[in-house]
Amino acid sequence: MTGGLQRLGSTIVLVGVSFLLTALVLWISGYGVGDVFSGTVQGAITATGAATSTVRWAIPLLLIGLGVVIGFRAGFFNIGGQGQFYMGACAALVVSLGWRGGPATLVILGATAAAVLAGSAWSLLPGYLRVRFATDEVLTTLMMNFIGALVLQYLTAGPMRNPSGTGQTAASERIPEAFRITDSSGVSATVLLLVGAVIVLVWLLLDRTRFGLTMTLVGRNPTMARWQGIDVSRVGLVTFGLSGALAGLAGAVELHGPGARLVTGFSPEVGFTAVVVALVGLLSVWGTVVAAIFFGGLQSAILFLPIVTDLPPPALVLLHGMVAFLVTVKFRSARRRRAPLAPEALAD
Amino acid sequence: MTVPSPSGPAPAVTPAVRCRSLGVSFGAVRALHHVSLDLAPGRIHALVGQNGAGKTTLAKVLAGLQAPDSGEVHIAGCKLPSGDVRAARGAGLAMVHQHFSLPPSFTVVEALELTAFRPGGRSVFRRAELRRRWQSAAAEMGGEAVLSTRIRDLPVETRQSLEIVRALATDARVVILDEPTALLTPAAIDTLFERLRRLRDDGVTVLVVLHKLREVAAVADTVSVLRDGELVLGPSEMSELSQGRLSDAIVGPASGADRTVGVEATVDGERQTLLELVGVSSRESAFEPGLRSIDLSVETREIVGIAGVEGNGQRSLVSVIAGLNAVAAGSVLLGGTEMTRAPPARRRLRGLRLVPFDRNSEGISRRAPVWLNQSALRLIGRPGRRLPLISLNQYKRQATEALDHWQVRYDSVSQPAESLSGGNVQRLILSREMAPGLEVLVAAQPTRGLDFSATNFVRRSLQRLRDSGAGVLLVSSDLDELFELSDRLLVMYGGTIVARFEAPYDRRAVGDAMTGALR
Repeated sequence: MTGGLQRLGSTIVLVGVSFLLTALVLWISGYGVGDVFSGTVQGAITATGAATSTVRWAIPLLLIGLGVVIGFRAGFFNIGGQGQFYMGACAALVVSLGWRGGPATLVILGATAAAVLAGSAWSLLPGYLRVRFATDEVLTTLMMNFIGALVLQYLTAGPMRNPSGTGQTAASERIPEAFRITDSSGVSATVLLLVGAVIVLVWLLLDRTRFGLTMTLVGRNPTMARWQGIDVSRVGLVTFGLSGALAGLAGAVELHGPGARLVTGFSPEVGFTAVVVALVGLLSVWGTVVAAIFFGGLQSAILFLPIVTDLPPPALVLLHGMVAFLVTVKFRSARRRRAPLAPEALAD
Repeated sequence: MTVPSPSGPAPAVTPAVRCRSLGVSFGAVRALHHVSLDLAPGRIHALVGQNGAGKTTLAKVLAGLQAPDSGEVHIAGCKLPSGDVRAARGAGLAMVHQHFSLPPSFTVVEALELTAFRPGGRSVFRRAELRRRWQSAAAEMGGEAVLSTRIRDLPVETRQSLEIVRALATDARVVILDEPTALLTPAAIDTLFERLRRLRDDGVTVLVVLHKLREVAAVADTVSVLRDGELVLGPSEMSELSQGRLSDAIVGPASGADRTVGVEATVDGERQTLLELVGVSSRESAFEPGLRSIDLSVETREIVGIAGVEGNGQRSLVSVIAGLNAVAAGSVLLGGTEMTRAPPARRRLRGLRLVPFDRNSEGISRRAPVWLNQSALRLIGRPGRRLPLISLNQYKRQATEALDHWQVRYDSVSQPAESLSGGNVQRLILSREMAPGLEVLVAAQPTRGLDFSATNFVRRSLQRLRDSGAGVLLVSSDLDELFELSDRLLVMYGGTIVARFEAPYDRRAVGDAMTGALR
């Protein structure tokens, strides 16, 4: 397992370097580096409510990130988490507002199911294009994000708009309080149980089932998998579906948890940060859990810092970007983009 | 070391290629160790050795494609900077690779221009000018080489000639060929050797990596043997060397690696047809002609050989049987059951086993762990138990047992399969494909590129499999192998079966059929 340790070590070094570079930029800009970092620790862990806030931000990152891990296992780069997350949230909103009078449990379950379906549908379309026409899923999933964002905008500014809203950005009506599974902190026993169950299920799926092994084979060498009798297209579709389903689930949790309503362009980075989370987590389930908490803490600190320092919020986003940048560089250099999965490209 | 004195004899000729204590390691694997070698100019030098002996690595180091960890390379007396392919080419050294390296979508003339090494060449060109420049070079290729033909449309032999022409186009004084005969028919091999002799007579130094002793004897002036990364013999004059001494040097001290493995097939009782193709046609692919009304059957207890020059539909045939290519007309039956449209998994479950053409890309997943590669067939079909959860330890244990039974050498089952040598990769594939449940095995080029002992091992395994009652369809471009193993022999040409032979085989008649002379 020296290879695994090495990768872990290099990831930790990389996060450390990101911290140093960010500190350098802040120092050059004349901020008190010490204050900023102590503020970060407060905002992520020690301040009142900080730990809860860290978990609250970690949850969507974790769910979407696990979807990315699933996609990668079978060799697919799903960076459409943002759009799938929005579509899940939108579907849950439509169910919840459309069936206001229904029994809470049923509505929540129905809305969650709708979110999961919508998320996976948003992922299955690029998935189908991939397995049928070998269309590069990096492009299609990325583009689907924009469509998803526009669907959200349409709903919040159109049919689901809260007419009494006064804010600059359009927002939907609130869902009834009975339909919520957390208060505005975004953390409750229900949510933690749900997320815990998802973690365990994804881990079992990837590492303890024949389908997980099949995904690994397909991801490493689809040609060989095909010769072994594995239906590579089917595996690809199921993978895309599951990957999007988790992002959709994250959308439902957001709506029924801390959000209670949808705002145009809410959490605009979460889908992309989740990709970084999965990469920092070395594309393993447990690594992704740790990385999601780390990035959740950063997000929490970004919101907290302006309270204790004169730092503008984007300054910590810099750290974010630094990690994302370095992780991507490392990932891309370690792993050349594989050739597209063409139907029968069997050159001699 | 002799010190030349003014009155003494002229100093010895400067070697065309000289390397001194070359060492190369890949991780823990020692590919080359203290290799020192002088190659006299104007001769044909053969380099032989088993798989993984370091032949290709040495060739790459000489050509500047691989920087050695230690040691140095001199070409015609000048030291080369280590691992600098341009410097090596500039010094007059050219390499013809084991796998063809020209871009398939280029025309002949484009490919020649692309790889020509001309310092100060212009970056803008005119097509007419290119044609003029390369016309004479192309004529050397022989055959009906047309400058505007795309590489992918050339037959295998012409492609290889083109690789050689390209190598020589830069006025190379030293040409290195890495296993040039692996893809050629016997006739094309003769032509190749003729060409090498002409090169030698023109004063070019040739270093050729070969596998078969017969070929070494046919063409080489001197021979050098690598074993486990060390130079154990040579360069020695071919005329002073006995065949026995040479094979001893290659194989090393007697090893017990020739033991074969028992295989139990599930077929018993009377003779029956296991695999049958009736009038099967398929569409052509980018690389091969389609099949044209193929009729063939494989019965219990027989090996049916498929001979043919590569690219005559063998790949289509195997893909159609595997269920990877669609059938346009006709039907495919396995054990009497109609399977024409059945997905690959159903055919696998019906007892079809496959040794694919390219073991590293189709036979294994190089980056997946060894145990998972061994267990791949357990992933299709219904699970044995109701619970979907599996025990990885149990998978690993079963894989380990099978691998040990087949004497696969590996460090750890959890390592990626790319850590295995070529012969061990093939053993891994056999351990998977020949597990119980097998009824008919389609083996495509099962010994290509394997060393002597691994080749023997695979051939004995196929025979044992046949003797235990299974059917084998053996696709090979090695006629000796086909003659040795096949109970019946079919020859493919242009996507169809043009001739059928029964033992004893007439080499010339088979050869004629392979080149289409029978039609």
